[in-house]
Amino acid sequence: MKSKMAVRRRTTLAFALLAATSVLGISGSASAETVKLQFWDMIWGQPEYIKAAQKIVQDFNKEHPEIQVEYRSIPWSNWYQTFVTAVSSGSAPDISTGAGYQAVQLYKMGAIRPLDGMIEKMKADGDLNDFAPGTVETLRFDNHYVSLPWGLDIRLWYYRPSLLKAAGVEPPKTWEEFRAAAKKLTADGKYGVVASGDTGGSHYVLSSMLNNGGGMFDADRKLTLSSNDRNVEALEWLSGIVADGSMHPASPGYSADDRRATFFRGEAAFSLDSPNIYKQAGAVSDDIAVLPPMQGPHGDTGTIFWVNNIMMYKQTKNPEAAETFVRWWSQNELPLWTEGHTGQIPARQSFLKDAVAGDDRYKYIVDNYIPIGKTTATAYKGIFPALSEVEGEGVLQTLTQQIFQGVPVKDALPQAESRIQEILNK
Amino acid sequence: MSLNSNTLAARWRLFAIMVVIVLVINFPIIVIVANSFQTTEQIMLNRSIIPQHFSFTNYEFLWGQTSFFRFLFNSVIVSGGSMICGVSAASMAGYALSRFKGPVLSIYSQALFVIQMFPIILALIPLFIVFRALELVNSPIPVIIIYTVVHLPFATWMAKAFFDTIPRELEEAAQVDGCSKFQAFLRIVLPLSGPGMAAVSIFSFLFSYNEFFVGSVFLRDESSMTVPIGMQMFMQQFATDWGSLMAAATLAVIPTFILFLMVQKYITYGAVAGGVKG
Amino acid sequence: MSLVAERAPYAGRSSVRQWWNNGNALPYLLLLPSAVVIGVVILIPFFEALQYSFTNSSLLEVGKFVGLDNYTKLLSSKDFWNAFRFSVIFALANVIGCYILGLGLALLMNMEMPFRGFFRVALLLPWIIPSVVSIVSWRWMVADHNAVFNQIIQLFGGRPIFFLSNNDWAQFIVVLIKIWRSFPFMMLSLLAALQGIDRSLYEAAALDGATKWKAFWHVTLPQIRDVSIVLCLLMTIWSVNDFDTPFLLTQGGPANSTENFVLLAYKYTFARNDLGTGAAISFVTLIILMVFIVIMLRRQREA
Repeated sequence: MKSKMAVRRRTTLAFALLAATSVLGISGSASAETVKLQFWDMIWGQPEYIKAAQKIVQDFNKEHPEIQVEYRSIPWSNWYQTFVTAVSSGSAPDISTGAGYQAVQLYKMGAIRPLDGMIEKMKADGDLNDFAPGTVETLRFDNHYVSLPWGLDIRLWYYRPSLLKAAGVEPPKTWEEFRAAAKKLTADGKYGVVASGDTGGSHYVLSSMLNNGGGMFDADRKLTLSSNDRNVEALEWLSGIVADGSMHPASPGYSADDRRATFFRGEAAFSLDSPNIYKQAGAVSDDIAVLPPMQGPHGDTGTIFWVNNIMMYKQTKNPEAAETFVRWWSQNELPLWTEGHTGQIPARQSFLKDAVAGDDRYKYIVDNYIPIGKTTATAYKGIFPALSEVEGEGVLQTLTQQIFQGVPVKDALPQAESRIQEILNK
Repeated sequence: MSLNSNTLAARWRLFAIMVVIVLVINFPIIVIVANSFQTTEQIMLNRSIIPQHFSFTNYEFLWGQTSFFRFLFNSVIVSGGSMICGVSAASMAGYALSRFKGPVLSIYSQALFVIQMFPIILALIPLFIVFRALELVNSPIPVIIIYTVVHLPFATWMAKAFFDTIPRELEEAAQVDGCSKFQAFLRIVLPLSGPGMAAVSIFSFLFSYNEFFVGSVFLRDESSMTVPIGMQMFMQQFATDWGSLMAAATLAVIPTFILFLMVQKYITYGAVAGGVKG
Repeated sequence: MSLVAERAPYAGRSSVRQWWNNGNALPYLLLLPSAVVIGVVILIPFFEALQYSFTNSSLLEVGKFVGLDNYTKLLSSKDFWNAFRFSVIFALANVIGCYILGLGLALLMNMEMPFRGFFRVALLLPWIIPSVVSIVSWRWMVADHNAVFNQIIQLFGGRPIFFLSNNDWAQFIVVLIKIWRSFPFMMLSLLAALQGIDRSLYEAAALDGATKWKAFWHVTLPQIRDVSIVLCLLMTIWSVNDFDTPFLLTQGGPANSTENFVLLAYKYTFARNDLGTGAAISFVTLIILMVFIVIMLRRQREA
């Protein structure tokens, strides 16, 4: 009896100690000589991307024996849930890449440690001049640099030259020509345009509003989705393509992968997608061409783009080591393009030459589309936390699906407007 | 009786009907298996279900690219663990609900329904914080415990329903012969509840083998992932590689299929035992 | 024992011991293991979540108390009633479809035939497969105009249907897949119940000259009635709480037509970081389900 009690007391004690150590945050690794860092990287390309990224991390670990970085690749589905559960349970990584507005949103939640010190240093030694103009400043929020840009993502129109040629259609230069071409190309089970109903589909809506000189917000960050006539006009244009029967009827239910497969199979002549997509097209890769930026009815050009970035978390126990890694990664990540074939455009201009080497289409996109790229926040200058929810919550996807289903713009738009307003009011 | 008096011809006619039914119902699965032997290009090109050229490329790819057998091992640990915990707890509780009455029991029985209705999403974040403090993230233990609880209400109800079909006279007779109530439960009732317990076990195992949401929160490390979670990760990374996806899907099904071929004998045995008159 | 009973001052203690010795504690001991795990995994988070639903909490911080705001906001929102409507359609169609298919196949499987064991396993396959996997296959079969389903439709001279683009067809296909995924469970449980029926009942019915149909109606159905009710109620709960089928197939689309309560709660909790409203949706779901099930159980008892 006595000995049993003793055992029980000892186990209780052990539990109490265990609890105490975890509360105080004492752990074996902190006192050890090497620093361990968790780096979560989104999957920014095809499988070879992950391999290229892993190899860069290995190189870093070799060069820095005192810092050991552990690489984990994060799938895009449920990414938000992944990060938020990690942050809320205290198991966030030290560093991660993320969606365009993730850093500013997590910053508002108190989860991000700004990179101000590191960026000051980069400014001082001139490294910052390497970044594409404006990109670093875009990620400034609340007077802090919440993250460091690494890639620019953009949406642009592709077409299938063989289909256009067979139908005797010239690549359209204006919206009007585009709509007419799409109509002419719709025949024999083939369609002018293919889209999707997921997030990738909502880029059709965003891109065309920006193409027409519109935007979801005004300069004061007020929501102008339905009050800006340019937006309505852009949606009417998409709606018209649907009404013509030129839009692939499966579009509202398609995922981006379905849409891409349909486009590669040659069942549609036009598709909006990210740079580099033709590299996944296998045998038909050469039959995919970049459509030069089109003019809207008022002569505007434009499309949606994001500055993707790398950020540091407040939960990190080794901010200095983490900064060392972020800076090193930023300087040495060129293989993500040369070996990983990511669809992003490098934020560092010194990488551009190697990234676009031997790829005319890629070069064309960099030269002609990047200058006309605009953010989701347009016409507001800068970004803000709610954008992440506006893009990710599903409102825009629902609006997109309705437009592609043929629901009249005037019926679909008010609902979307009030839902987004609800998000902004929070 | 009528069920057994079928003529041989009638049995084979029934067999033929069943073949058709099984083929129609399992069509999506046949598609998976057939496609797994075609390369992605072939699948996308001809969209025919019957493979034109047999190819094992997808399986070779899987072998090299994924830790499938690690996932499988983890799945078996998690599903087996929660099956054992779940069935033991459920059969005990189910027996209590079946044979005894009282305010505590009726409250408990109603609470089970509420628990069954409770959306597990809500419990995940508090639970994650607790298990993390115990350093049990990436361990099968929290997942086994949660799975056990999530399917426990149903398993208990099933167990109770089946115990209800077993006549009480059997236990009363055993008690007259000197058994305690618990002994009567262990020696008389449990062996007779074969079909019920088999159904509960299968349910329990399958629930855990297939569960995705809870697992994806707790099992973050590749070495601790179960089949659905590893599969989902694979699908994300190779989203357009239909051939490999289908091959992975096929591999995921084979272990349970084999297990089931074995287990179904016990269901048959249970049917015989159920026919023994009390 | 007799010695103890004679001593009046110890009567209280002895009755406890007697109560124990008579095996009266057994039901509570049997409940104990389940009660402990349920307490840890469900009860504590349950009350925590209930608290959340009255606050404007996010996933990262506990917010301020806002009273019934989350609930009133919900009941006046279009999305909520849209989710309500689909949850009802989804649950109802699934329970009916599953029960008819499950019972029909259970009756067939209860007959003598060659390779019965094989069929039994083969019919469980849709349920064995992880949802992540089977829904990918279904998606592949219905997503396109030249996908397998449409090839069959065109074979019979029909026009291709874009199942995932049209609201009604998307709802149809989500329900169909849910039935497909859950009927094996219904079948298995009913089959076990059928096999538990005392055969002498059929013999007695046959002696009375009952036809097969009459035997089914007067012997089989009453015998499996209780199991059936439990199964249908559970299937209702599972349908209402199903996340995988709509999420993996349509993500609630197109145009929110396949968004049920769980998806809505998930959207609020994780996409809008509004834990308070997410929790409130879950509790409203819980209350609706509870009311429904209490009514059903009452009616069953009266019948």
